Amino acid sequence: MIRKTLLVAATAAALAQPAVAQDARIGLLFGISGAISAMSPTMVEAARLAIEQVNAQGGILGGRTLVPVLGDSGCNPQNATDAASKAVNIDRVLAIVGPSCSGAVLAAANSVTVPAGVTIVSPSSTSPQVTKLADKDLVFRTVPSDAYQGAALARALLARGVRTVAVTYLANDYGTGLGESFKAEFEAHGGKLAAYQAHDGAKASYRSELSRLARSGADTLVIFDYGDGTGLTILRQALENGFFRNFVGADGMKSEAMIRAIGAKNLGTLLVSAPVGAGDAALEIFRRDFTARGGNPDGIFATTSYDAAFLLALAIEHAGGDRSKIAASLRAVATAPGEPVLPGEWAKAKKLIAEGRDIDYKGAAGDHEFDAHGDVPGTYALFRIAGDTFEAVTRME
Amino acid sequence: MDALGLLNYALFILILAGIYGLMALGLNVQWGLTGLFNAGIAGFFAIGAYASAILTGPAVAGRVGGFALPVPAGWLAAMALAALLAWPIGRVCLRLRSDYLAIATIGVAEIIRLTIRSEDWLTGGVRGIAGVPRPFGDLPYLTAQLAYLALVLAVVVVAYRMMERQLHSPWGRMMRAIRDNEAAAAAMGKHVERRRLEAFVLGSALMGLAGALFAHLNRSITPDAIDPMIVTFLVWIMLILGGSGNNRGALLGALVIWLIWSLSELATDRLPTEVAIQAKYARMFLIGLALQLVLRFRPDGLLPEARRTRPRTQDHP
Amino acid sequence: MDLYEFINFHLIPGLLLGSIYALGAIGVTLVFGILRFAHLAHGDMLTLGAFLALGVAGLTGLDPWFALPVAMALTAGAALLIDATCYDYLRERPRILTVMASLGVALMVRAVVQMGWGTDPTTYATGIVRPTEYLGWFLLRDRELMTFAAVIVLVAVLEAFLRLTRWGRAMRAMSDNPDLARLCGVDNRQVIRLTWVIVGMLCAAAGFLLGINTEVWAMMGWWALLPIFAAAILGGVGRIDGAVLGGLVIGLAEELSVLVVPAQYKSATAFVILLLVLLFRPRGILKGKVL
Repeated sequence: MIRKTLLVAATAAALAQPAVAQDARIGLLFGISGAISAMSPTMVEAARLAIEQVNAQGGILGGRTLVPVLGDSGCNPQNATDAASKAVNIDRVLAIVGPSCSGAVLAAANSVTVPAGVTIVSPSSTSPQVTKLADKDLVFRTVPSDAYQGAALARALLARGVRTVAVTYLANDYGTGLGESFKAEFEAHGGKLAAYQAHDGAKASYRSELSRLARSGADTLVIFDYGDGTGLTILRQALENGFFRNFVGADGMKSEAMIRAIGAKNLGTLLVSAPVGAGDAALEIFRRDFTARGGNPDGIFATTSYDAAFLLALAIEHAGGDRSKIAASLRAVATAPGEPVLPGEWAKAKKLIAEGRDIDYKGAAGDHEFDAHGDVPGTYALFRIAGDTFEAVTRME
Repeated sequence: MDALGLLNYALFILILAGIYGLMALGLNVQWGLTGLFNAGIAGFFAIGAYASAILTGPAVAGRVGGFALPVPAGWLAAMALAALLAWPIGRVCLRLRSDYLAIATIGVAEIIRLTIRSEDWLTGGVRGIAGVPRPFGDLPYLTAQLAYLALVLAVVVVAYRMMERQLHSPWGRMMRAIRDNEAAAAAMGKHVERRRLEAFVLGSALMGLAGALFAHLNRSITPDAIDPMIVTFLVWIMLILGGSGNNRGALLGALVIWLIWSLSELATDRLPTEVAIQAKYARMFLIGLALQLVLRFRPDGLLPEARRTRPRTQDHP
Repeated sequence: MDLYEFINFHLIPGLLLGSIYALGAIGVTLVFGILRFAHLAHGDMLTLGAFLALGVAGLTGLDPWFALPVAMALTAGAALLIDATCYDYLRERPRILTVMASLGVALMVRAVVQMGWGTDPTTYATGIVRPTEYLGWFLLRDRELMTFAAVIVLVAVLEAFLRLTRWGRAMRAMSDNPDLARLCGVDNRQVIRLTWVIVGMLCAAAGFLLGINTEVWAMMGWWALLPIFAAAILGGVGRIDGAVLGGLVIGLAEELSVLVVPAQYKSATAFVILLLVLLFRPRGILKGKVL
């Protein structure tokens, strides 16, 4: 029985080998099933956009096709390590975009990608634990750590004259991280938190929580949650019951699902923050390209996913396809100085790399100047809803 | 075909199959031998993982830790703590009939999970615990995996031997008697409740140990690892498929199901991405279907229980 | 906090959620009573019903409330199909195997919903609806009034059915003692099918009402499963009135728990109540059976 099993397994694995090994493969590990399954399709599509642009503009490593290998990290360590192991060992990917969730990143990095020497770039893992990871410089993120966005949002609100708020945050690492960094910065600069509480992500009704929050007297509610999930429920129930006048959220709340479900005209007092590039051009190009492909550029982590994939493609090209050199190449192509390369400019970048010139990718979600830990500082903008979509109001310092 | 890659993949599969096999052995004592429907495996897995992580991990501001005990001590503590928590839970829940026991243990596991996610000062809350030491972790990839696999296999073999001895011992015979006809066993003067409690505690200790092995493998433990879908449910399918009441069946079931789980994803990877996402949902469908098929066509599992004694719990009239 | 706030932001939401839980609990208690197992696929049947209503409303352009009866019929059909393929052959075997089979069914139904409709939350109608004030005290929306009305009507019809019709009495007989019922000429197989039809319809209604008051998405039923089970067991297994009472208590407890424990423990309320009931009063408030 055991022998039969192993025979079947070996055969299956053998059959799973691709017929041709002439393509360059890149792993896409996203949380397709699990806690963030609602967000994953857009993230996957954004990453695929980058790969399609690469292939349409001449291919990679001398005309080869860049092939995405999709894996499901399930937002838990068991699935993530398994998917990473397959991507690294069976598909022999050169690098990996993902995983999406911080716990998955920690596990996959610790047990598979770091020992195997494969570079990974996560577009959505925001936990500070990833910063402290002993990762031989193989783990990067295109999304800034929570610590930045919460603090930046606090400063932005204070700058707009908002001195008292109530905060409710989702009890997971995303919401908690934002909540803590927001609280620290807001109070440090003279703001007052009239209420600060966590909420569970699995409920259908939050009216009792909202009532408690509203009793604090603040007229602005800061919601650290996902607009594709219970953030939507909370916002809707707050609006319907007349709790709070103004609403603020972080990038998780910058979701089209809210506009669709609640209606743009009801969301006039909503402000959300999201990471952006230093200039507006990169974001505009991405929006245009992604919309043309049928995607939603305002989707959560769409920009960071795109950037992660495009950056890795650039790094692979720069490193000549050598797995061990990709991390160093990633730093080279992402950080200044260098000739600026914007989203979609693959042909231009290829030419520059071939000529041996230094390039500096300016992404849709930021300039991605990786620090020593592979983290990026955040530059953010505040958005509000205009028409049927989000428009930037101001940059946040 | 890249032999090295395939080897590394195989090693990883075996490590996880070993960890799951340990949990299946634990469940086999509880369900296969004693007829206790424990649907809270994830809770004991969590306790073991966090106990070992807290005791062997580095100090962190705002959290209990910094004991930096050696890894074996952490693993022993994992077993002890899981057993320690199983004891009151068992005392309180085991007199319930199977359906209710299942629901109660699901509830217990969920409460454990919520507590872990909320109590930062103990467990690091939603961020979990990182920096957990891994034995032989600094060796090159292949060697590190081989070394860890050797450790896991050693643990599994020891556990298997012990469980086999228990199975064939007078204690084991008594458990089966209680399982098959509780009233008769009680009439013969066996302390039914105490025996069941022993089985429950023993099985839970094994699940805690599996949790510790998992935490050290990944050098971290986060609350998302305690998902009942990927822990509890999968282990149940493993035992049913492998053959409940049979320790070898438990281990075989773990290997087969984990292989199916992992390889099925390879199949979906080959599809174009639009369909690939849908196909990932289909994986869950297939697992549910597999459960139905096993229950229908091979309800005793691949390796049925050796003895001819008849089935699990009796229906109460 | 004043009385007005308490009534409108704690009491009424609690009762609303509770009445939805009640509908779910009635289905669970029927399965416990007549089929004698814990129907772990109940939550995902709720989800299926909600999405079927969404689908019907989308295809035909009907108002969602008119799509509901169609969804109820479809879900009843699905329940019959599932019983025929997944539970029927296990009838003579230990009940615990049927429980496991139902867990597998839960996964399959959820996967089908995810494949068919994706994982984004959706709604039956866009926009927000502000409540109207009644009698100076109560803030209620039309959909909430209709939810209460729907639950009352469904429960009343079901009770009448069970008490006054032949088939209803057959169901109660089978719940009390299947062997005796068979001896008296009750066709157990027909009763079982009838039970699934009723359970399917109740699931669809509960799922729809949950969706119309919040959002519709693939995990909605699974998250409601444990509160629903808690409600059924709390009220007393096998009793419709118990299920209704249990549902209301659990719904209220969840909404009131925020006043005493940190909000992230809200989910724990139902679990804790469930554990306490199982330990101290397994027959429930209204003394149902302990199976």
